[in-house]
Amino acid sequence: MNPAKSYEHIFSPIGGKDDSFGAPGVITFLRAPHTEINAKALKASGARFAFLGVPYEEGNIGKPGSVEGPRDIRFMSHEYFPYWFEYQVDLQGDCVDCGDVRTPKVDPETSHKNIYKAVREILSAGLIPVLCGGDHSITIPASKALSDHLGAGKNIGYLQLGAHLNMADSWAGEKNTSASTLARVTELPNVSAQNVAHIGIRNSMNPKDWIDLADARGVKYYSMNEVLDRGVEAVTREAADRVWNGTDAQYISINMNVMDASAAPGVTSPEPGGLEAREIMQINEILGERGSVSLIDVTELCPVVDVNAITTKLAACAVLRLMAVITQAKGETVDQNIKREDLK
Amino acid sequence: MSSDAHQAWEFVPHQHRGPAAQSGSDDHIYSPKLHNGSFKAKGLETFMGAPYCEPDRDKIRAMGAKVCFLGVPHDHGNMVRCGTSQGPAGIREASTQYFPYMFEYDVDLIEFFRPVDCGDIPAVPSNNARSHQLIYDYVTECLHGGAMIILCGGDHSVPIPAARALSDYLGGKPMGYLHVDCHLDSAPDWDDNIYTNCSGTSRALDLPNCSAANMAHMGSRNGLNPKDWVDTLVDNDIRLLPMREVAKRGIEVCSHEIFERAWDGTDGVYFSWDTDSLDASCAPGTTAPEPFGIKAREALKLARIAGEHGASIMEISELCPMWDSNNITSKLSCCMAYQFLGSRAKTLRDNDELPWNRKNIA
Repeated sequence: MNPAKSYEHIFSPIGGKDDSFGAPGVITFLRAPHTEINAKALKASGARFAFLGVPYEEGNIGKPGSVEGPRDIRFMSHEYFPYWFEYQVDLQGDCVDCGDVRTPKVDPETSHKNIYKAVREILSAGLIPVLCGGDHSITIPASKALSDHLGAGKNIGYLQLGAHLNMADSWAGEKNTSASTLARVTELPNVSAQNVAHIGIRNSMNPKDWIDLADARGVKYYSMNEVLDRGVEAVTREAADRVWNGTDAQYISINMNVMDASAAPGVTSPEPGGLEAREIMQINEILGERGSVSLIDVTELCPVVDVNAITTKLAACAVLRLMAVITQAKGETVDQNIKREDLK
Repeated sequence: MSSDAHQAWEFVPHQHRGPAAQSGSDDHIYSPKLHNGSFKAKGLETFMGAPYCEPDRDKIRAMGAKVCFLGVPHDHGNMVRCGTSQGPAGIREASTQYFPYMFEYDVDLIEFFRPVDCGDIPAVPSNNARSHQLIYDYVTECLHGGAMIILCGGDHSVPIPAARALSDYLGGKPMGYLHVDCHLDSAPDWDDNIYTNCSGTSRALDLPNCSAANMAHMGSRNGLNPKDWVDTLVDNDIRLLPMREVAKRGIEVCSHEIFERAWDGTDGVYFSWDTDSLDASCAPGTTAPEPFGIKAREALKLARIAGEHGASIMEISELCPMWDSNNITSKLSCCMAYQFLGSRAKTLRDNDELPWNRKNIA
């Protein structure tokens, strides 16, 4: 609760002052102000979260289309207020939009460098980067940025949600494709396997070398069968205990194909037998209640094959909910006595 | 395993092994080493990247195949929407995005079953009898080849000739028949026609060695089940588990029940699975999408349980890619077949059985 702040925007528009709810105007995530990727400017914004679009998909091994994820999640975020009644939280002022990372075509190394630099800059300003891909390989430079930002002697916890383990040591001889996200993260000097968990793997896009490498490194993965047997809550709490146990920073990586194909058809690799919409909301509540998160990413959205934008809206909703719960856990809630002037 | 089996792999040009010297015998269950495998460059699409084999009993035996995939692009028996003739292509395309390795069972389906794709069964336009004869002949060859069959339709009249082929193959020995579907498909006839996709269950009941005591129907719901269909099932004592019962008792209990019934004293089981048994949200790409169906997670569980019990023929029908959203129905159908096979392999392995020692496979 900030006494210097106006809370007029958390009510229905009144008095003809805002007739543009349906018109996008300047398109930023949650209509947040655009801020340069510059530590000084970011610090000056006073925000907690920095949205960063990463339209990069040259790490994909299957189907293309994730490059349009950042653009469309911004669109869908406009269908939400920054005010979340479930948590009495107002995200306006808590979030800035840093625009998109420059990702030149057929130059994956430069793209990776740019992602790394942008994430480090945001972290050095003390904000929580909220990345929207792009394919799942964007987690590789982003996690390296977090690792270098923290430096030696600090521990990172890493939680990955997805239908596929992405634990390839290499794929077709390449080290940095979306098939190797978890493999690269678990090689970071300040990531210990005991602080890593994966939720949601299922079906046949998990070749044997991925499973073997995860077992060899002691990475805990919860298959969908286990999630269904034990329940989402028990599994998430156990996974969160690993990720938050003695760690200085936590990275939550949400590959949207963790969702059941019926709840999220608009992903690059829809996979049956996954989470329902209500379950990802439950997971994000459990995670957000921990209060501390250092980096969030959401990847593999594929708007071109979506149905009525339900997948992008689900992604926007899940990420915003996570942000709202984190904010609530930090005690930043709206005073219940704030009412519309004309209804007092 | 036949000595020719390994050689068969030489005929797979662009699939999981690839042409460029990926030579390890297990390469197909690992991340590709040299190129992107089949994930973008699909080459010649076959189910699971399996080699093609002529639907000929001697050739199937020579290849050592214990699973045959057969496409049935036959949609002349449909009552309402068309489009199921593209079903086999949809399921093959979906399989290009999967490895034959299943971590859930630690099974390599290619190594365990030596599957082959016998291509599509041709249909004869405007002649249902000749089309049915071709389906009957192809299925008969695969059964005599000693293989379990994954049959992909096509509309749901496909089981009429296919179950008859199993019946004749078994001779006088008893068989079971399971029908998982939104619709009862037990019309004695539809406007005097006895071979449409409304009569799969009825025609199975006509088979001389298929007793109602070994038949069950699961997943029925909603208002496209006329009274004569219900009467046929009830009057003949075929076990009927409507969707309301499945939702109440749980998919696991119900699935075990129907398979135990089908295998009770029988030598073979025909498992007919209509994609419209699935909820419309999980399977929009079917000819008659219906709400209040089986969810994807339940379907995969049913497939797993089916694999524990086994089936001589598993048929997936009414898959209609042109109504689909981002191939989710094709992928679900493909996963249903994979989970069935993976679970089957694990069950046989756990019992120290090889696929060719099982009573439901010749």
